[in-house]
Order: sequence, then structure tokens, then C-alpha cells
Amino acid sequence: MSDFAPLGELFASERSIYIGGPIDRQKLWYWVAGEVGSWSLQGFSSWGIETHDGAFVGQVGVNKPNHFPEVELGYLIMPEFGGQGIAFEAAEAARAWAFETLKIETLVSYIDPKNACSVALGQRLGCVIDPDRSLPDGETTDETVVYRHRRAA
Amino acid sequence: MSLTNAPHFETERLILRGPEMRDVEAFIVFSADKTRSEGFGYIPQRDEAWRWFALNIGHWHIHGYGYLTIEDKETGNPAGICGIWNPEGWPEPEIGWVVYEGFEGKGVAYEAAIAVRAWVYAELNFTTLTSNIVPANTRSIALAERLGATFEREYENVQMGLDHLYRHPAPEALL
Repeated sequence: MSDFAPLGELFASERSIYIGGPIDRQKLWYWVAGEVGSWSLQGFSSWGIETHDGAFVGQVGVNKPNHFPEVELGYLIMPEFGGQGIAFEAAEAARAWAFETLKIETLVSYIDPKNACSVALGQRLGCVIDPDRSLPDGETTDETVVYRHRRAA
Repeated sequence: MSLTNAPHFETERLILRGPEMRDVEAFIVFSADKTRSEGFGYIPQRDEAWRWFALNIGHWHIHGYGYLTIEDKETGNPAGICGIWNPEGWPEPEIGWVVYEGFEGKGVAYEAAIAVRAWVYAELNFTTLTSNIVPANTRSIALAERLGATFEREYENVQMGLDHLYRHPAPEALL
């Protein structure tokens, strides 16, 4: 729960517009508790990302809430740790875990096309746009593009 | 596989146990039924109700308590939920209850709440316990009073808005 305070600051700010925010502390607590619960419920969920000296720098996760048609690889990095390749490193590790340990055949990332950083990261991770796939319930093509991760041959 | 570290105990007609996957659908149906869920939190969208179900499991992992499933011994079906709730922004831990369609008017919530309250006093060493009830929820207020709780104050709940806080008798008063 030590991740909660820094996440609270991020989600209270306008910097959270592409990750579902801004949201208040109470709603965020529900969100984090939901991620904790999903580890038991589904066997996968979100990790906190720390540096080797213990600083909380963000989250990476493999998630499938009820309204997602497929399992998603998602990530968020605290603004002060951006631009260091942390999301790439964490996303690669989470993706490898999903493919190897969960034996998931394919993953998607739902990315807002206006979120240039995330689009660039999706491309760096080797994702390709999959235009025919359905979106999470209630989302439109203006706000969400499906990027597909393929298991390495 | 058990999803939580919740206890398992039985009363005359009920089993109180941790939430399991087989309970999800009954909760989703309840949440979308505005007349029944309004005082608890009306959740019309399936995915949002599913998230609440997941976050209750997380609540167990974070606090060591949360909502238990009330299982009807006779049918084996979920009859409601009863437990201890204390998310961010809550004034203090509260005991809450909800009874699903078909199980109302039979004293299910009373039987469950007596057992859950006894559990937290005995096993979690709580010295006091509250229930937060929206003023319009007269059935829940009647049950709180039947449980011996008394109105303490009015306050603004972060989720429910204007809310009434009831305080239960302390453990020693129940002996």
C-alpha cells in the first residue's frame, strides 16, 4: 500500500488523462484494491515497479477486467521517471511473463492515439495496430486503438 | 482455491464465508437492481460491478477483513453479503449488510450481522464498530437499531453523500 500515495498524486493531476484519470483518492483506492483482488481472482494483475533502491516508479500489468474483450498489457510511469526506458523494460518483462508463465497466446494494449509516448512505446515493443478487433465496452476508435503483441517465434 | 483469508462460520440457517467466483453473478444482478442496491451503491454496468467484486477481494488482502458471502444453507445459493468495510476516506471500519432478492424479510441480515460482529470483536479485537446508513434506507436503520446500534452523527460520506453514522454496542456490552 506504499504505492498509494504517489499514485494518488498522479491520478489527482491532469497527467492522468490517458490512464483513466483524474480520479479522487477514494475511487483510486477502489481501483488499487481491485488490482490486488485480481491477483487472486484471475491469477494476473498489476505490479508496482520499483528501482533497485526501492523507489516507486510506476505500474505495469496484465489485466482483463470484465469489459475488456482481451487480456491487456498496460503500463504507467510516474512523470518524474519518464524518458528513461523504464516502461519498455517493465513491459517487456511483463509480456514475457504472460507468454511464458500464463501461456497466453496473444496480448493487446489499448492506447489512446493522442498519447504519443504510449504509441511510441507500443511501436518500440513491436506491436502492430489490429484494426478489426473489438474495443473495451463503451470506448470509441477516437480514444482507443488496439495494438497487438505477438509471441516471439 | 480460496480467494481470500476470510473465516468460515455457520449460524442456524447460514454459512458466512469468503467471496468466491461462483458468487459474482448474484452480486452483479443485485448491483443493477436499483431498488435494492441504492442504499449500498447502485452499479448498473456489469464491468463496474465486477470491479467491485474484485476490489472486495483486494480489501480482504489489504485489511484482513471485507465482505463475506452469506450462503443460504438450504439452497446453497448466495443470499447476500455482510462484512466489514473500510476503504480510503471512510470515517472508521463499519459493518454492512445486503440481502438479495428472494431472501428478504426472513431475518437473514440480522442473523449474519450478529455473527460477523461477534467475529470481529472476538478475533480482530475491535473495540467499537459503526454502520454508515443513508437516511432514506429505513429498513437498514431498523436493523441497526435491532442490533442495538444508536445514531451518533450526520456526516458527508465520500461515496454516498449525506450519511448517518450508527454506533454498535461495545464488545463488553454484548457479553
